[in-house]
Amino acid sequence: MTTIGSRTMQIDINLSKCEGHGLCEQLAPQVFGLDDEGYVFLKVDQPIPAELEEAAAAGARVCPVAALRVLR
Amino acid sequence: MTLDHIVVAGGSIAAVTAAGALRTAGFGGRVTLVSAERAAPYSRVPLSKGVMIGTETPESAALPALPDDVELMLGTAAAGLRVDRRELILAGGGVVDYDGLVIATGARARRLAAPGQRGELVVRTLADAEAIAERRADASSAVVVGGGFLGMEVASTLRHHGLEVTVVDMEPPLRRLLGPWLAEYVTKAALEHGVRLVISEGGVVLEGDPISGVRLGNGEFIAGDLVVSAVGDIPNAEWLEGSGLRLANGVVVDERCRVAPAITGAGDVVSREVSPGVFRRTPHWSNAVAQGRAAATSLLDDGASPYVPDHYFWTEQYGLDVKIAGEPPLVGEPDVLAGDLDGREVLLRWSNTDDATTAVVSINYRMPAARLRKMVA
Ligand SMILES: Cc1cc2nc3c(=O)[nH]c(=O)nc-3n(C[C@H](O)[C@H](O)[C@H](O)COP(=O)(O)OP(=O)(O)OC[C@H]3O[C@@H](n4cnc5c(N)ncnc54)[C@H](O)[C@@H]3O)c2cc1C
Ligand code: SF4
Repeated sequence: MTTIGSRTMQIDINLSKCEGHGLCEQLAPQVFGLDDEGYVFLKVDQPIPAELEEAAAAGARVCPVAALRVLR
Repeated sequence: MTLDHIVVAGGSIAAVTAAGALRTAGFGGRVTLVSAERAAPYSRVPLSKGVMIGTETPESAALPALPDDVELMLGTAAAGLRVDRRELILAGGGVVDYDGLVIATGARARRLAAPGQRGELVVRTLADAEAIAERRADASSAVVVGGGFLGMEVASTLRHHGLEVTVVDMEPPLRRLLGPWLAEYVTKAALEHGVRLVISEGGVVLEGDPISGVRLGNGEFIAGDLVVSAVGDIPNAEWLEGSGLRLANGVVVDERCRVAPAITGAGDVVSREVSPGVFRRTPHWSNAVAQGRAAATSLLDDGASPYVPDHYFWTEQYGLDVKIAGEPPLVGEPDVLAGDLDGREVLLRWSNTDDATTAVVSINYRMPAARLRKMVA
């Protein structure tokens, strides 16, 4: 299993890339949201809470335009 | 049978999603991803945009890494399958044992060049995009064969960067995919951007070696410094021939993405029987994600509920950012829900004869994607 509990993960959002497809939000609604204009924002503080790390990484991986990076 | 080792064949979004979903679902055994490509998983979506023209680096398309405990075997193609022995045979002759298998080997570009004929460009892999980026510096004209999403996006990108671009197809661009109304709307923007659209009912023949242009059905020759084929994709399912698995326009999956006991499939390589004898693939990103998750859950729990197909896709071309929720093609004319058609910032709704919403399309109209999807519930 993935080791959890480090709380050192950051999500780097490249807003100029985001096209608002919302796949990140669909997969990890606890972590990602879309604003009224349809752009992504983080619903949680950085670093990402340990229990949400996996969800955050999974949400980042489905972004079709690679606007989300995972920094560990 | 307990699952100790799950192998995922493929290395793109369907495979990555499946592998990730296995971990998210709590699977603690070994997970191995076997991918033919040498490159670590990346998105194809930016390839027809910045990567192809060289304004974005190949690295910018990389997908965030999988958890450390997913083993990656890159540059390793699956070449065969022994279902009864649960063995995946590798191209080099090696064998990988599995308890569960996800088939996610995607699709490849269809080509038109004759055997041995050089210089045909396609846009499917990072290497393809880099090849175009390399050649476009010396190019002033391009012929794009194929007026589907991909061809029209490629043409848009090349035109935006100053090339003279001709798109050739056997039928009006985008029509089969978008329906006549929306296809015409987008086509109009393409023409305004100075792209030339040519219909050649008899198809085209690529001429020259290296290829220097295309010959139309009527005999006319159109020269291009770049000739890019965007004429569809072929599911990478040949390696499964002889395995006994059901192949029809790809690997056939059911509504839970199951192929056979202990085998599931996802993404561009799979098809579903939508009506008797009709096997349809849904080669889109959001579908690969939905199926990748289902392929993982079904493997872990045979009683998992059927997956919900995600009929959401988009295209960006000629200054139009088009997002579509609903299943195309879009028949008839839409209602304008908000915005302005001529101003090209508009929210459109298609409906059937019972006035039920069949699709909602936003064009440069900013709103959260979830709301768009919900409107077609
Ligand atoms: C340029 C371009 C732009 C696109 N734009 C959009 C868009 O805007 N919106 C949208 O919804 N969709 C778009 N798509 C489609 C989308 O990218 C695909 O639907 C998606 O990539 C499918 O993912 P997949 O994992 O099923 O297959 P693929 O992406 O085809 O990946 C297949 C993987 O399997 C590997 N593989 C193949 N054969 C073998 C083998 N024998 N053994 C092991 N591994 C193997 C390959 O190396 C690859 O890693 C675009 C596609 C392209 C090419
Ligand atoms: S998936 Fe990517 S493009 Fe879509 S909203 Fe999230 S960050 Fe933006």
